[in-house]
This record gives sequence, structure tokens and C-alpha cells, in this order.
Amino acid sequence: MPCGLFFETYQKDESIFPTLWLKVWMIALGLFLLTFPFFSQTVSDWLGINVLNLFNLIFIYIVGAHGLNLLTGYTGQISLGHGAFMGVGAYTAGILANLGWPFWLALPAAGLMAAAVGMIFGIPSLRLRGLYLAIATLAAQFILDYAMRNWSSLTGGSSGLIVPAASIGSLTFDNDFNFYFLALGFAVLATMYLKNITRTRTGRAFVAVRDRYLSAEVIGVNLFKYRIMSFGISSFMVGIAGGLWAYYITIISDEHFTMWLSVQYLAMIIVGGLGSVLGSIYGVVFMVTLPELLRLPAEALTNVYPDIFVIFSSLREMVFGIIVIIFLIFEPDGLAARWHTVRAYWKLWPFSY
Amino acid sequence: MQRKLLVTALAVALCLAFTPLAMAKEIKVGGLFDITGPTGAVGKDYAAGAVAGEKYWNQKNVLGGDMLKLIPNDYAYKIPEAVNLYKKYKDVDRVFVIQGWGTGDTNALRPLVNKDKIVFFSASYDGNLTDPKKNPYNFFIGTSYSTAIRLAMIYAKDQGAKKVVFIYPDHPYGKNPIPAGKDYAKKLGLQIGPDEIVNLRAIDATSQLLNMKKFNPDFAWIGGTTPSTAVIIKDAAKHNLGTKFMINCWGFDENLPRLAGKAAEGRAFGMLPVAPFGANVPGMKDVVAAAGDKPTTLHFVKSWVSMMVMVEGLKKAKAAGKLNGPGLKAALETIKDFNTGGLCAPITYTSTDHRPNTSMAIGGVKDGKIYLVKDVNFPRQKAYIGW
Repeated sequence: MPCGLFFETYQKDESIFPTLWLKVWMIALGLFLLTFPFFSQTVSDWLGINVLNLFNLIFIYIVGAHGLNLLTGYTGQISLGHGAFMGVGAYTAGILANLGWPFWLALPAAGLMAAAVGMIFGIPSLRLRGLYLAIATLAAQFILDYAMRNWSSLTGGSSGLIVPAASIGSLTFDNDFNFYFLALGFAVLATMYLKNITRTRTGRAFVAVRDRYLSAEVIGVNLFKYRIMSFGISSFMVGIAGGLWAYYITIISDEHFTMWLSVQYLAMIIVGGLGSVLGSIYGVVFMVTLPELLRLPAEALTNVYPDIFVIFSSLREMVFGIIVIIFLIFEPDGLAARWHTVRAYWKLWPFSY
Repeated sequence: MQRKLLVTALAVALCLAFTPLAMAKEIKVGGLFDITGPTGAVGKDYAAGAVAGEKYWNQKNVLGGDMLKLIPNDYAYKIPEAVNLYKKYKDVDRVFVIQGWGTGDTNALRPLVNKDKIVFFSASYDGNLTDPKKNPYNFFIGTSYSTAIRLAMIYAKDQGAKKVVFIYPDHPYGKNPIPAGKDYAKKLGLQIGPDEIVNLRAIDATSQLLNMKKFNPDFAWIGGTTPSTAVIIKDAAKHNLGTKFMINCWGFDENLPRLAGKAAEGRAFGMLPVAPFGANVPGMKDVVAAAGDKPTTLHFVKSWVSMMVMVEGLKKAKAAGKLNGPGLKAALETIKDFNTGGLCAPITYTSTDHRPNTSMAIGGVKDGKIYLVKDVNFPRQKAYIGW
């Protein structure tokens, strides 16, 4: 029995699912995800959490996190504006839906609008890198945030904008159950897209730009083109996430797309693992699930000591912060890296050497 | 034989042991509160009032054996978080009544609440919610913000004011009554100055007040919460402004004299939909006892009354044998001149008008304490349903 992976062709080395086991597991995961909504109510009742809602949010955020990971993890450009770009997508979808556009047209339009806005704010990336770029995109966040709040005739201002539920043909996605399959579809699409783009010429150019932009330029990578392209694709994805979110929550207001969301997106990919497809997924699952799980002890304790709820609510935020910090101290490479370590350990167990 | 007997006895014993549990039905109530968000300063007391109310009415056993079970959660004034919690309350806890909080989220949840037929009590006294044609499942207990701002304008006019200004945060709560206020101020012939935006977490309002000083209004409306109101009042005193301030019901409470000190005296006037905590009214004794030894604010009283009205509705719904969303809504709409023991003006809901009442008190500050300046009443006119 081989205790490692041996590939004899480049094709095999580059394959997405290199081993039979992995294929079996992926099929199992696929089956689980497709059948999950049918028994989700039981799980919800048992856990005391609306798991279907949780899954839907996870799927939506995965689309956006993949986008940011492409920009930050693969191309090495920090963006603190992705929360606002998500808002651009959400508002575009919402406004177009209210104008009577069908879902299948409004959603791509949301992505394209976000991509356009993202590329405009990505222009400084030619000159700016690292922290400077982060500040430039932070400006984007503030500008867009201000526009969303104060352009009331378009966005409904702080009272928000009501969005009709998505529908394709006679199928309406107006409940968690129906929406689950839609969101799952987009999450899978985005994952496949990210996985594949990183294996292409374009993807390698992104990584080259990230690792050493000077060398990349020397070997003929057009820096400006790839930087802007990375901004475009990444904002497109986060715009799609915003559009989906608008159709899911059915009400959007500026309160959601603040800097906090941008930071949260960054936290997702850092906790999950920069420059890793699995990383964005793990990061999203972690960041979306943890606050919900932290609610459980608070609710349980409230049954016994009703007065404690007020104290516990404030504690929840703190505990959340502390857990994230602990994570970054002990696993700076993210959950994906930890997963690889664990897997490698078991692969060689008990004959590790 | 003996074994069979034993099993039967055991089964009977078990049944008996579980009977009280099976008989005491739980009526779950969802609770959306803001503890850590921008309105947390007043939200904490409101949440505490609801929790205390749950305990009180369970102890009094007013629902004939049925127990209230409030499921309180902090949503930090975030609309998406409120939507998430709402989905949990609906699908996991299967509630048919919710005690909610802010203007933004209450409005955001309106379509869902109507679709799912869940009665929604809110701490937002948004005038839009009072039209049952549009929002059949929304209820609240205090005089609406729009009515309050109209009453404030009338009071200002009576005091000889000629010029007014509106100060509010860029939040749904702050902005909500401003159109109604401006409309009514115009009707009264008051001159309106430029709006000033002071955020809920502001620690300084100098620039806004200096700007306002140029217009020099006699009265200004403040639509913030207590901490931001205190900042405005203190800065106004610092710059010797002669303006008096009319404050919406979440910005004026027992903490204001503490935060603003002497600056509040003769300068701050609050719109009070409920009696201040500890006021000399018959209903207050239970409230003070329920609050324990902790000093609290009138926001505690607000949620207490909200729970009280909900319990009254539940009682009626139970008597009609319809303990569900539509049943509770119908029961609430039969409530007429409901006496809260002086905690707030008598409450009436009908199937065409969800305005609980249209009268309130105006409070002022003297010697670090709230005192009642005047009771005011706005006629219940059909034209003002829904705004």
C-alpha cells in the first residue's frame, strides 16, 4: 500500500480530485448536500438553530469569499472595500428586480455592476500595494457607504429597499427550502470557477503578480491588466453574492454593507486560509456558524437565569473576538492548513516518521 | 401477573409525573432586543423589562396554566441579524408573537410578518405601522412618533416659538417622524431651519450646534437616544444657546439628568409615552418590585406595558380558543380603553386603526429628576392613520 501520492503525469498531478477516496468522499458530500434540506427541520429542532438559513448564508458568503480570496489570496492585493462592492451588487439586483427585471437577468447585472465599480476603485492598484491599497479601497468603502445611505431616491436610504423573491419561470425561491438549492448551485459554481481559474494561465499570472511583481513583469505579465482583471473578477463574484443576498433576505439597507462586513470578509479568508479554495469555504463556515453556536449557551442559560441574558449578549461578541484571535495565534495559515496537517497525520498514521 | 401489575403501576406513575408538564402549555414569545448595538444604551432596560414581565405574569398565572416563554436575543440593531433571528423564531421555535425593537428592522420584517401571520409588537412607535390595511400584524403601545412630534410642535408654538430645527441621527428611527414634524410645523406657521445630523454614538455636537446657532431657533427636536441627546444638551449649554429641546421618547429618560447634569434643566423636554420609572401611579408598584433593587428607566416600563397588552390579548385569544397569530390579532383588535394602571394612556386597537392612544406627557428636568410639565393630547383623526 502506498503511503503517499505518486503521479506519473502532469495531468494527474493537476487533477482536481487526485485519488479514488477523494472522489468517493466528494460524491458522499454532494449527496448529503442535496438531500440535507429534506431532514433539516429535524436537525433544526434538535439544535435550536435554523440550520437551513445558516446553510443559505454560508453558500452566499462562499461566493463572495471566493471572490476576495482570488484578489487577496491569489493576487496579493488587500481590499477593504468588498463589503461595499457586495452592497453595489445587492442594490443593483434589488433596484432592477423592482423595475421588473427577471432574476436571471438582474443577478448577472448585479455582478457586472459590482465588477465595474470594483475595477474603477482597482485602478490605484497599479501604483499602490499592500497597506496603501488597503487604504485606497477603504476609501471606496466609505464613498459607497455614503452613497447607499444618502441617495435615498435610488436606494431607499436607511429605511431600506424591499426586494421581491427570486423566481425562474414558475419556480419561486421565496422560502429557505427552495432558496437552498439555488444558493448551493451558485456556491458550487463559484468554487469550481475559482479552482479552475487558478489552474489556468491567468491564475498563474495572478500568483506571479502576488509573489514578486517585478519578476512577473520581467517574464511578460502585464501587471496592470492582471491587477484590474483580478479586481474585476473578484468584485463580480462578490456582486453576485450581494445579489443573491438581496433576493434571499428580501430587504436591503445600508447598515449591512459597512466596513464591518469588509473586515468580516477578510477575516473569513484569513481564518480559512489565504490562497486556498478550501480556505474560503472553511473560513465562511467558521465565521457564520460560530456566532450562532455561541448563542446556544446564552439561550440555555436564559432558561435558568432570565436576567443573565443581558450580560451574556455582550459577552458573546467578546468571546467571538477572542476565539478569532486565538485562532490566528495558533493557526496563522488558516483552517485549510490545519486540515492538511490533520489529513497528512492520518494518512501516515501509525507509521509517521 | 405481578410483573404486569408493576409495569402498569409504573406507567401510571410516569403519566402522573408528566401530567403537569403536558398540561402546562408553553406560549413561546420571540424577543428581538438591542443590547450591544447603537441603541443598546436604552435597549438594555427595555429587554430587562420584558424579561421581568414574563416572570411576573407567569407567577400570577394569568393564562390559566399556560406559561409564557420569552426567548430573548440580542440582534445588535442589525437588520440582517433580525431577519435571521426571525427565521429561527418562526421555523425552530414556532412562535406566533414576537416582541421586537427598532424602526429599521420592524419595517424590514413587515412583509414577512404579514405573510406568516405572526403578531409583532415593536418598541418602534413608527406611525406607518398603525395602518392595519397595510400592516395588519404590527402593534405597539405608545403614542406614535409622528403624533409625538406634532404634539411637540404644538407645545413649541404655545410657548411662543417662531423658528424650529430638527436634529436626528441618520437612522430609520431618527428620520422616521421628521416628515410629519415638518408638515405640521408648516401648518402651524413655524419657520423650519436646516436639519442637523448627530449620530447615535456622537461624542461631540459642536459643529452642528454652531451651525444651528446661525438660524437661532427657539425650539429644536432631538430624535436620538439618551447618550447622544446628552451630548447635544451639554454642548448647547456650553455655547450658551437659548434654544429649548423637545426630545423623542428614546432620548429622554432618568439617565439624562445624570449624563447632562445641570445643562438639562430648563432646556430638555421629553415626550413621554409612559410614566417615568417609580412615578406615583397605581400600576407602578408591581413594576418597581419586578425591577428589584436595580434602578432602571422608563424604557423598562415601556416593555412592561408591551408585555401587559400582549398578555391581555393572549387571554382573550385563549378564551376564544384561538391561540395563534390571527387569533391574537383579532383579540387585540377588541381591546378598548385598556387600563394599564396609569403606566400609559388607555390603549385601544380596532381593526381599522392600530394607534394605541394619542395622548402623552411632556417631561422636564428639575434637581436631577424628571417632573411632569404637562399632559398633552392630540385628537384621534382618521387622516392621521398610518403616518
